[in-house]
Amino acid sequence: MPSHDAVVVGGGLSGLTAGLALAESGADVALLAKGMAASHWVHGGIDIADSGQASSSAAAAAALASLPGHPYAVLADDLPAAVAEALRRLADAGLPYRGGLDAPLEWIPTAIGGLRRAAILPDGQATVLDPWEADEGLLLVGVERYRDFWAGYAARNLAAAEWPGGPARVHAAVVELPGLARLRNLTPLVIARLFDDPVWRRSAWPLIRQAVPAGRWRIGVPAVLGLDRHAEVLAEAVRELGPVFEMPSLPPSVPGIRLHDALRRRFEASGGRLEIGFGVTGVERSAGAVAALETAAAGRPRRVAAGVFVLATGGLAGGGLRGLPGGKLEETVFGLPVSSPSADRWFSGEPLGDGVELERAGIRVNADLRPLDTAGRVVLDNVLVVGSELSGMRYLSERCGDGVALASGHRAGRLIGVGQRATATTTTTTTTRRTAS
Amino acid sequence: MTFTDAADRHYPAFSTDACIKCNVCNTVCPVARVTDLFPGPKYVGPQAQRFREAPRSADHSVDLCSGCGFCTRACPQGVRIAETNSRARAEMVEERGSSLRNRVIADTDLLIRLGVPFAPLANFALRSRILRWIGERVVGVHRSAALHPFARRTFQAAVARRRVSDDRGPDRTLIYFHGCAVNGFETSLGRDAISVLERNGFSVIVPPQSCCALPMISNGLYPQARAKARRNLTVLGDYARRGYRIVTTSTSCGYTLKAEYAEMLDLDDPDARAVARQTWDICELLGDLHERSKLDTRLAPLDRELPYHPPCQLKAHGIGTPAMDLFALIPGLRAWNSEHDCCGAAGTYGLKRERWQIAQDVGRGLFARLRERPAPDMACDSETCRWQITASTSIPARHPVEYIAESYRRWDAAHIGEVARAEAGTQLGAT
Ligand SMILES: Cc1cc2nc3c(=O)[nH]c(=O)nc-3n(C[C@H](O)[C@H](O)[C@H](O)COP(=O)(O)OP(=O)(O)OC[C@H]3O[C@@H](n4cnc5c(N)ncnc54)[C@H](O)[C@@H]3O)c2cc1C
Repeated sequence: MPSHDAVVVGGGLSGLTAGLALAESGADVALLAKGMAASHWVHGGIDIADSGQASSSAAAAAALASLPGHPYAVLADDLPAAVAEALRRLADAGLPYRGGLDAPLEWIPTAIGGLRRAAILPDGQATVLDPWEADEGLLLVGVERYRDFWAGYAARNLAAAEWPGGPARVHAAVVELPGLARLRNLTPLVIARLFDDPVWRRSAWPLIRQAVPAGRWRIGVPAVLGLDRHAEVLAEAVRELGPVFEMPSLPPSVPGIRLHDALRRRFEASGGRLEIGFGVTGVERSAGAVAALETAAAGRPRRVAAGVFVLATGGLAGGGLRGLPGGKLEETVFGLPVSSPSADRWFSGEPLGDGVELERAGIRVNADLRPLDTAGRVVLDNVLVVGSELSGMRYLSERCGDGVALASGHRAGRLIGVGQRATATTTTTTTTRRTAS
Repeated sequence: MTFTDAADRHYPAFSTDACIKCNVCNTVCPVARVTDLFPGPKYVGPQAQRFREAPRSADHSVDLCSGCGFCTRACPQGVRIAETNSRARAEMVEERGSSLRNRVIADTDLLIRLGVPFAPLANFALRSRILRWIGERVVGVHRSAALHPFARRTFQAAVARRRVSDDRGPDRTLIYFHGCAVNGFETSLGRDAISVLERNGFSVIVPPQSCCALPMISNGLYPQARAKARRNLTVLGDYARRGYRIVTTSTSCGYTLKAEYAEMLDLDDPDARAVARQTWDICELLGDLHERSKLDTRLAPLDRELPYHPPCQLKAHGIGTPAMDLFALIPGLRAWNSEHDCCGAAGTYGLKRERWQIAQDVGRGLFARLRERPAPDMACDSETCRWQITASTSIPARHPVEYIAESYRRWDAAHIGEVARAEAGTQLGAT
């Protein structure tokens, strides 16, 4: 059976952050994930926290840290280093981001013409953070036949919206890009891959330029400016079109995939390995600790041992929690106790407003990220829990999902790094298997 | 086993209800990446599935799926997309029939029976541009498709006079499932595999066997595939139930024995279950020996670069890349992983006139990477991938175990006269 210093379960932002911290500190670490993570769905920016009023992410995170049971109550100290490190890694991987914890939270437009606040965005989106000059308009450019970005609809919504500090005017245009008329399946990935092709690009820029009316504009386009050669495409777009920024739309999210790819490349360059399709199906325990995991494999489960395990399975959306008939929630890997509001209150609240109660469900941990039972006792000594699997937050309304993922991943790396690489004794082991959902 | 377990296993289409239409599968599909003819796994899988009533073949583009399985593994919700699509193709074939071409190229046993006795003639035909052109027009096999020359004698014939008994028991005896590639085309791989296993202390039995049936499964010919599979299960099941391990050098045959007999063909009797449990990819087995410090590591240096491409079918095993771990044991060998998703071959997919270009486009990135860092040859665990890579890059491709065999041979040559070998061979490996 293969054996590692550490095994991370889950390949999202939190798992990759923990894995990177461990791999960079020289640990032998394997990252196993059932499938791809939320990164393929989300906007590719990094949300630390936002209350709607706070001036910066740091201030909003500090407010959340004062809420009892919130992950930031434990993690706030790690946040500055975690964010700095993530931005450094991404820049090194060729995907630079702008902004930071203390940068002002600015109102930015969404693909349907709503507004949200952001302070840390990839360079491809960051131009939208610049203050709007008095004579500067926003031009949304859609792509003919691409169904997930309706420039006219978004522009109408934005024109009607109260956008503090926003542009004086909003305008929409739709362009016919070369070759798309022949295609039947126009996903953002298809267009992004076309932009990766320098020859195709050369014929696309003039068509987009033609759609720009006279005057001074900043141009918002769907987030399709290249996949593997994004930096090159973006630089060329700015040369050809002037100030331009990407607006993420429905999944698959090209900026999210770039983020995932960049972290994954870094992780593998530091000697780690990310295995997708390795859902955990069983656990081998010995004396209050986990000795090994079983992962789904053809024919028979595959066992993998480690001294310490990091649980980064993403909560309800990621597959780390599952609802059972009768109103119970189950943690899907170790069967850890789940902290959750009672079932009759799960859906009280506004899903798109302050959020529903169920969002708070997750695993309660101590400052060492060890899982706790209802009495506050550590359940498993060599398991650390990170990311959206943690209880006590509502990442959609508090906009803290990415920040919690980074801070907890960072702390897991730090804790394991300082000698807690405990090796579990493998004397009496019992194996429990769960059936895949 | 609960009802849902059984349902998961035999009705992968049930899992499509869990699809949230997030499109992750479409982002990893190597075929949708290169052709607009294939709308991607989400559309032909979970989306088309809800229309598969009568007639069941609502969406014919499912036939463009190459069966690599990346979609299933990437799915955040655990939807069995590739399995659903394979079954959908089989239902389509059942309803609308199959081309003669597909039935012929899927019947590897038949091809070997016809080709091997007339190997000189057949190989001449394979090399003849005019005959290949006619073959494309008349049969529909692309004139540039990767077809390996036939062996002069089948592997089965070559080992017919070997007599190996199973009386050393399941710990010291392995059952070798060589598959069609070794039987009709790459017989020296079979010899290397046996020598590597014997050197590690095992007796190796080569039972009579049929094609694993994967080419039939991937062409939607399930009834024919079931007949082949049953024949294999009768022979292999007996060993497997008695605890013998079955070893394969074809990672795709191995995956078929482990997973597809049950998941695609609904073969779920004690024989099938025992065979699934007891089948090992040869690199998986050697890697396992090494983890238990039982591998003979007297390996001579091979001072060179070695490009390695892990095939899709290997990834489906869920065992990582054991070949890379083995390469690390050979002094001087600098193996590097292609990190490319798929070579395009996908078994018989890349042979077909109407699919050949798609297969080339899928493999393009891999071919470019191999050409960038030239090496005398490269390694890959699956035969049709090897043939595709060689046909597309002119770089010879070998199975990983052939490098292990070569390293052992060099060690032997350098230590000629040392008698320790035979004894050590019996202490190591077998448990
Ligand atoms: C639709 C959506 C929108 C969001 N929008 C925002 C936003 O705007 N701002 C924000 O801050 N946050 C947002 N989030 C929160 C987002 O989840 C976090 O920001 C962060 O990406 C979570 O990362 P994670 O690593 O904790 O989990 P995930 O990214 O969910 O990763 C979970 C991983 O665990 C794996 N896994 C699960 N179960 C198993 C198992 N049994 N065995 C093996 N592997 C397993 C999964 O396959 C996956 O790889 C959003 C989430 C979703 C789902």
